Amino acid sequence: MQVSVKLFGGLREYLPAGSAFNACVLNLPEGSMLTDVLSHLPIPENKTYIVLLNDVKLDREAHADTIVSASDEIVLLPPIKGG
Amino acid sequence: MSWHKQILRVNLTEGRCQIEPLNMEWANDYLGQRGLGSKYLLEEMDPAADALSPENKVIFATGPVTGTLASTSGRYSVITKGALTDAIACSNSGGKFGAELKFAGYDLLIIEGESEKPVYLHIEDDKVELCDASEVWGKTVWETEDFLGKKYADPLMRFASIGQAGENLCRYACVVNDRHRAAGRSGVGTVMGAKKIKAIAVRGTKGVKSPDPAGYFKLASEVNARMTERDEMSRDGTLAMIDVTNNFGALPTRNNRSVRFEGAEKLNPEAMHTPNANGHTNIITNGACFGCTIGCGRICHVDPTHFSIKDKPQYHGASGGLEYETAYALGAACGVDDIDAATYVGFLCNEYGMDPISLGGSIAAAMELFDIGAITEQDTNGVKLEFGSAEALCAMGEMTARNEGIGADIAMGSKRLCEKYGHPDLSMSVKGQEFAAYDGRGMQGMGLAYATSNRGACHLRASPYEHDFETTDIEGKAQVVYDSQNEVAFIDSTGLCLFPSECGWSIKDYLELVNGSCESDWSEDDVQTVGERIWNLERLFNIKAGLGKKDDTLPKRILEEPADVGTAKGLVCKLGDMLPEYYQLRGWNEEGEPTSDTISRLGL
Ligand code: SF4
Repeated sequence: MQVSVKLFGGLREYLPAGSAFNACVLNLPEGSMLTDVLSHLPIPENKTYIVLLNDVKLDREAHADTIVSASDEIVLLPPIKGG
Repeated sequence: MSWHKQILRVNLTEGRCQIEPLNMEWANDYLGQRGLGSKYLLEEMDPAADALSPENKVIFATGPVTGTLASTSGRYSVITKGALTDAIACSNSGGKFGAELKFAGYDLLIIEGESEKPVYLHIEDDKVELCDASEVWGKTVWETEDFLGKKYADPLMRFASIGQAGENLCRYACVVNDRHRAAGRSGVGTVMGAKKIKAIAVRGTKGVKSPDPAGYFKLASEVNARMTERDEMSRDGTLAMIDVTNNFGALPTRNNRSVRFEGAEKLNPEAMHTPNANGHTNIITNGACFGCTIGCGRICHVDPTHFSIKDKPQYHGASGGLEYETAYALGAACGVDDIDAATYVGFLCNEYGMDPISLGGSIAAAMELFDIGAITEQDTNGVKLEFGSAEALCAMGEMTARNEGIGADIAMGSKRLCEKYGHPDLSMSVKGQEFAAYDGRGMQGMGLAYATSNRGACHLRASPYEHDFETTDIEGKAQVVYDSQNEVAFIDSTGLCLFPSECGWSIKDYLELVNGSCESDWSEDDVQTVGERIWNLERLFNIKAGLGKKDDTLPKRILEEPADVGTAKGLVCKLGDMLPEYYQLRGWNEEGEPTSDTISRLGL
């Protein structure tokens, strides 16, 4: 299945080569977990970010238990501190 | 020591300029800039006086680090009783003006009284004079800078001035320096207009002294190197935030009717960096204030074929472009997704001297009044003042800048505007000051920060961002707001910018620079104490001005209408549950007044 992910702010540095400005499409087997999605993005371990799945914020502990599907909206946000 | 230990006092009523020693005891208790300026204001004026009366004062305050080798050390503040809020106002600006004022030998400039005729202040070190401003009265900020620049023919002379908005007493007029940097909020420029002081032209050759220049250079370099996360801010500026709040569900849209704007992707960094159908790219480069190694400023230009400027070649050049707050206020708040229209109205704000946040918030309120029929086309000279209309946004920007027609009502700010048209609840403001770009339902801590901010709704008086993006659960938010309000009050008093704290600096880094500049040994505990002292001093000013618990609140919409989408869907701001804990942490009684213990503990 194809899963699209949006990465905003500084996180867009970790988009695979050839991606659009803020988004990429990943090819993953059916039944993949959110952790599988994230493992395709080279975001350093120490980098904190927010994951929204269909408008719901998911805590880190929930990533390994969450199955994703092709229709899901996955958004990664950097926790910017104001502006 | 980097203090000059000197104040320049200018009495406009008597036409007198005199140099006085700085009260160093107060500088030790309140540091500089926001803290010290507020102390002088409270000591020298009756807070109950009308903001537009001669009793009000305008204080330009630098900090101990202003003008030094430290990165972002160009900051100064304008402190006065705000014309928009009738509360204490402290508006912070960058550019190069603040450092130049310091180089001329002054830590503070206090302007008092009221001139009979328009004047400007000319400072070249010890030579200080009030000059006739009749040739620039009625002119824009840019025309004023051009005129004075030509007159004195010194490329290093810096200017801070008001535009026609300040002269016309638009309630949110700002003081603009270096063409597009502004002490923007709360109507500090309106007070200048009421006093008939058009501009300050300053040139200094005294510099800032350090007892150990080599040591300070080393320190400034080391601390600068610790700003490890600045690339994103340099590349995208503060505008990167629009994608975060929009996706999170905290971007105030159409006068806070929604917390998400479907047009945000037409205003975000991608839109700013990508050529449009005509091959025009909005951004040209980034820009930096004095000594800054981040450069968050946007230097942009409007597509010359855009309807707003196609017949106005004077706007075809580059100037200060959209930042997050302006993209929100002149974009999402009005439901407008036209980056050129928002950039153009942003130019008008710099040129005529208006706060874009309050202008956008007031236009958004007018759009909602139009939507419900409280304002009609008869009131607007036939302009269809509809949410989403870029034409209406530009027309209102121009009419407000010139104080024409309905623009004169929009210039009163959303609170007075909505009261006039019979719907006071539609003003999205606190203490009369329009919201910044965060919704207090999606970001509960920000709701508390807005409600309790001494200068009215403001995103720069606390830093609840991380906690708010972590959870909408209100547990711990009062503590986060309290701690960060104190910390920010300290940073705002140093002469340094707040943004390095978003790019890798901790409070320790600020502290090292302050200690290096002042030859002091402030500790992290002192940061909290000084910050708390400043916060309480501002609170005491407001209480004497007649404000209190009744003003620590949010519009009904934020307290009663649940967020429509996003992570906080279904939530209202739980301000009532956070406020008692906040008062307790502050050492205030149930009415929000500092107790006698708090006052004596802080040496107030
Ligand atoms: S970070 Fe931005 S606002 Fe702060 S000093 Fe630098 S350019 Fe100015």
